[in-house]
Amino acid sequence: MGKIMLLNASPRAPKSNSKQYAAMFASVCPAETAYFAVTKNNHSELCRAMEGFSDVLLVFPLYADGLPVTLMHFLKTLEQNAPEHKPRISVLINCGFMEPEQNDIAVQMLRLYCRENGYPFGSVLEIGSGEAILATPFRVFVRAKMKKLAAAIVAGKAQTWKVTMPISKRMFLRASTSYWTNYGKRNGITKEQMATMQIEQ
Amino acid sequence: MNLILSDRPLHLPEIDRGSTKFIDLSALRIANCVGCFGCWTKTPGKCVIRDDAVKVYPCIAQSERVLYVSRVKYGSYDTTMKTMLERAIPVQQAFIRLLHGETHHVQRNVRPKQAVIVGYGDLSGEEKDIFRRLVARNANNMNFTDWRVVFASEQEVEQTVREEVLAWGKSCC
Repeated sequence: MGKIMLLNASPRAPKSNSKQYAAMFASVCPAETAYFAVTKNNHSELCRAMEGFSDVLLVFPLYADGLPVTLMHFLKTLEQNAPEHKPRISVLINCGFMEPEQNDIAVQMLRLYCRENGYPFGSVLEIGSGEAILATPFRVFVRAKMKKLAAAIVAGKAQTWKVTMPISKRMFLRASTSYWTNYGKRNGITKEQMATMQIEQ
Repeated sequence: MNLILSDRPLHLPEIDRGSTKFIDLSALRIANCVGCFGCWTKTPGKCVIRDDAVKVYPCIAQSERVLYVSRVKYGSYDTTMKTMLERAIPVQQAFIRLLHGETHHVQRNVRPKQAVIVGYGDLSGEEKDIFRRLVARNANNMNFTDWRVVFASEQEVEQTVREEVLAWGKSCC
């Protein structure tokens, strides 16, 4: 059984949902895993570390409809410092929108990257409503898909899964409004203040 | 207002500076978004990182026409432009709405805009295709009413931008 490098490329890695997703993956994965976070200054170190792994699972959020800049900078360094034995790259992506399909283009970018740079492409789990789903009973659906993802990576398969909250969009709008209103409240900001139409004023 | 947002310096003597603002992102100091949600939940509409990005996203919001010029990397905007676009989220609220049946953030005072995106570099057909689809998704989150993607080689980029700017001038008259 191979070793899996869990690489968190969230811009807020230490406090990110991606960190929680990586931890959940590690807890259901039958193979050995090791967690790393991309920072501004550790790209070369991560490229060297990659040498010891059969698989890499990139864990990150969708940013402005695509790959976060944190990940893009790392991918550029990796292009210049490729490990001798290239691991299979799999993807665990989440977005705050309800539709996991909104992650599709970021995944296509990584497929392209892997093909152009000679990395085998593995499996994918796309998560919708990823900002809040772990704090709801629906986390069990994420966990179930995570088990499938882990099994596929261990078996060297290339499969894709998607998961989101199994509720109507209308209900999702209500739930997300409540989620963000409470988030603001914790900072002493009202819903009306959060809904300001002003920009930099 | 028209806005040209570029990841490289461009020589554009023909632009009407009264109606068109040109911003060269490569000359600005713009840090990465840290995903703190401060612009949604602490200082709504304002980024907590007070660098040059805070001068740029209000211009994006106010513009009725935008022309973005970016190298394309992995089918994405390259990092200079992508960094700015990620830092532009103060123009949106945290709250979610339905748009064309999909969930998207509510926009603050962001004018609906026509967009031309000039993507440059030595690009494969697949990379162009991914970039086109990316811009189509951006349209939902950046309030584009209509948009076009134009590809150019690095050598052609300045000429391509000039032609687009001239077309703006013609459509005004």
